[in-house]
Amino acid sequence: MEKNFILAGFGGQGVLLAGTILANAFMLAGKCVTWYPCYGAEMRGGTVNCEVVVSDAEVSSVHKQDTDFALVLNQQSFDKFVQRVKSGGTIIANATLVALAKPRDDIKYVFAKMGDIANAIGSSKVTNMVSLGVLSEACNIVSKEYLAKAVEIVLGEKKKQFLSLNLKALEAGCGALV
Amino acid sequence: MQAVFSVPKSMKENFKYTFCPGCDHGIAIRLVAELIDELNLRENTICSTCVGCSVFLYDFLNIDCVEAPHGRACASATGVKRANPDKFVFTYQGDGDFASIGFAESMHTAIRGENISAICINNTTFGMTGGQLGPTTLMGQVTTTSPFGRNKEYYGYPIKIAEQVALCDGTAFSARVALDTIPHINQAKLALKKAFEVQLNGLGFGFVEILSSCPTNWHMTPHDAHEWVKNEMIPVFPLGVFKDLMEK
Amino acid sequence: MDDKKVLIKGNYAIAQASINAGCQCYFGYPITPQTEIGEYLSAEMPKLGRGYVSAESELAAINMVVGAASTGAKVMTSSSSCAVALMQETLSYACSDELPVVLVNVMRAGPGLGYVYPAQGDYNQAVYGGGNGDYKIIVLAPSTVQECIDYTYRAFYLARKYRNPVILLADGLLGQMMEPASFGKNPYPEVDVSSWALSGAKGRDGKAIYSCARDEKAHIQKIKDLFKKFEVITENETSYEEFETDDAEIILTAFGSMTRNIKASIKVLREKGIKAGGFRPITLSPFPAKRIYELASQGKNFAVVEMNMGQMWKDVKFAVEGQSYVSLINRPCGEWLSVEEIVSSVENILRTKEGEYASCI
Repeated sequence: MEKNFILAGFGGQGVLLAGTILANAFMLAGKCVTWYPCYGAEMRGGTVNCEVVVSDAEVSSVHKQDTDFALVLNQQSFDKFVQRVKSGGTIIANATLVALAKPRDDIKYVFAKMGDIANAIGSSKVTNMVSLGVLSEACNIVSKEYLAKAVEIVLGEKKKQFLSLNLKALEAGCGALV
Repeated sequence: MQAVFSVPKSMKENFKYTFCPGCDHGIAIRLVAELIDELNLRENTICSTCVGCSVFLYDFLNIDCVEAPHGRACASATGVKRANPDKFVFTYQGDGDFASIGFAESMHTAIRGENISAICINNTTFGMTGGQLGPTTLMGQVTTTSPFGRNKEYYGYPIKIAEQVALCDGTAFSARVALDTIPHINQAKLALKKAFEVQLNGLGFGFVEILSSCPTNWHMTPHDAHEWVKNEMIPVFPLGVFKDLMEK
Repeated sequence: MDDKKVLIKGNYAIAQASINAGCQCYFGYPITPQTEIGEYLSAEMPKLGRGYVSAESELAAINMVVGAASTGAKVMTSSSSCAVALMQETLSYACSDELPVVLVNVMRAGPGLGYVYPAQGDYNQAVYGGGNGDYKIIVLAPSTVQECIDYTYRAFYLARKYRNPVILLADGLLGQMMEPASFGKNPYPEVDVSSWALSGAKGRDGKAIYSCARDEKAHIQKIKDLFKKFEVITENETSYEEFETDDAEIILTAFGSMTRNIKASIKVLREKGIKAGGFRPITLSPFPAKRIYELASQGKNFAVVEMNMGQMWKDVKFAVEGQSYVSLINRPCGEWLSVEEIVSSVENILRTKEGEYASCI
C-alpha cells in the first residue's frame, strides 16, 4: 500500500504545516512516510504545496505528478491539482473559497466550508487544522488520535498556547462531514 | 666579543636566499621574523601564505604555514583563526594576490573585522610571472602587458589599498610603509608591530601595505629601484597611518 | 541524541549530524536547495561556542574550510551544483594538501545557473572533479534522510582517517524532503591528527602544508603517493547495496535518492515475471567497479537509472568491460523517473534485445 497526498493553498494558509502534521501522524502510526514541499522560485508566486507519501514499505517516489488525494484550500489550487488526481482518487476542497464545480467525473469530490468552520471556532488561521480533520474523515487512512498527537509534537513547547484551539479545529473538521 | 647583529630566531637555519638581488621581500620577511621573536609568537603562530613571490615566506620562517590558492589567503586565515581563536594568525601576500584576484576575500575579511593581521607587498607588478600590469601599476608605467604604459582607456587606475582597507569598520589598523630608506624601514617595523598588536588585543583586522622594489621586473639597479620607489611610488601611494584603533 | 525517530528535513538532518560528529566550524553561502543547512548551523553553532561564518562567496567559504582543516579542525561547508563549481580549484588544492574537508553538495539542475529543482548532474563534477591535475575525492551518495545522517558521520570520519576531502552528494529532493530518521550516536572513533595538523610550532620546527613539490621528482612521487592512498581507500571503504541480484537477468543501477525508485521498480517487475535486481553504489568514489565486473561476468545485463545524461552510465559500462549490455534510463533533471516509467523502459529494453539501448525519457 502506497498513497499520495497533495496539500495546496496560498501562502499563509499553513498547508506546509498541515502536511508536516499529516506526515508526523503517519510516522506515529508506524508507517513509512515522506514530505516534500515545492520550494525555491516556485513558492514566491503565492501558491504553496507539499506532497506526503505514506507506505507500508520504503517510499518509492517522493515527488510524483499524480496523486491519490488532493487537499486544496483555494480556487487556484483546485484548478491546478484537480487535473492531477488519479482516476478514482479524491479531491477535498475548502468550499469557503472554492466554487462547487466537478470538472471530472472519474474522481470523488469532498467539499466542506473549512474557512467558515475555522472562523466559527475563533480564527481563520486554523483552516488548515479543520482541513486535516476533513481529510481524516474522507480518506479513512489516518486516525484523528494520531493527528491530534502530531499537532502536539509539531506545535511543541514554543507554541503550546495554541494547542487547544488547533485541536478544537481538528475535531470540528472531523465532524464536518457528518 | 659581543654579537650585535644576528639572524632572528624565527628564521630557519641555513635558508637559501631565493629572491632577486635588491628585492625588498628579504627586508620585509626579516622584519616579520624580528617581531615574531620580540613578541614571543613563534610557537603560537600560523601563517596563511599566498601565490606569487610572497609564497617563499615559508622557506625562510620556521613557523607553521598553510598555503592558500591565489588570492584566498585572508579566507584561509579566517578559517584558521575561527577554528583556533587563541593562535596568532597572519597572511603575507603580494598586491596581485591581496588586491586583484583576492580583493573580495581581503576586503570582506577586513569588513568582518576578522582578528588577523595581513601584510601586502606592493611592487606595482606581478613579479613571479615576469612583470605584468597589476592592480597597483602606476599610470604611464610600462609592463609586459602595458607595453605603451598604463592609460585609463585600456587599464583604468591603480588602487590605493591601505586607504580602502582603512574605510572598513572592521579594520583596527591600516598603514602604508616603504623600505627604501633606513628611517622608512624603522617606520615599517613599527607599523607591522601595531598590525600584530591589534590582533593580540582582539581589536580586529590589522593591515600593512609595504611599498617594495622589484629591480628585476622594473629593469633597474637596486639603487635606482629604491629611487623609483621614492620619486614615483610614494607621491601616488603616500606613506602613513590611515586607521589606528590602538591610538584611541 | 538518541534512537527516537523524528520527522526531519534532509538539510536539517545533515546540519544536526555535523554537530553530532563534532564539526567545529561551518563556512557557507546561501543557495537553494541547501540553504537550511547554513540557517540551522547559524543558530546552533554559536550556542555551542563553535565557529560559523556567512562567507562572502563559495570561493571564500571553501578556503576558510581549508584554513580550518589545516589545523586539524573538523570543518564543513555546504552548497549546490553551480556554486560547488566555484569551489573546484580549492578542492584540487585540498586533495594535494591532504586536508580533511567535508563538502555537502545538495544538487540542483545544471548546466550554468540551471534551476533549483533536483537533479543528479554533478556525478562527474564530484567523482572526476572540476579542478586541475590528478586527484581523487571520496564521494558518498545518500538515498534517504536516515542516510543523510549516517553518511555525514561517515564523511567526517573518512576525511580525517585518510586526510582526504569527502563530498556528501545529496540532491534537492533529499535536502527538502522530510522523513522519519534517528540520530543515534556517531559510531566512529576519533582520529588523531596531531602528527600533521598545524598548531603553532611549539617545541618543534615549523611545518608547512602546501600543494606543490619543489622539484619534478618529488612532485611525481607526491602524486603517486596520493593514488597509492586511494588504492587503500578503495580496498577498505568501497561500499554498495544489492537487491535480489542472485537470479537477476537485468540489474537496475542507481545512486542517491533514485535508489528508492529502482527498489520499488524491481518489485513491480518481479510481479510481472521479469527477473530484475538492483545495484546501488554508496561510494561513488571509490566506485564498486570490481563487484559490477563480477555480476557482469555472470551474464547479467545492467540498466542505469539516473537524473542526468548518463554520467554514471559510462562508469558502469567501463566496469562491465563489454561482458554484457548496459542500458540507460534517464532524464536530465526535474521530476524523478517514476516506477511506472522505469518499469516500461525496462520492458522496452528487454523487447529490443539488440545490444546497447539508451532511453532518455
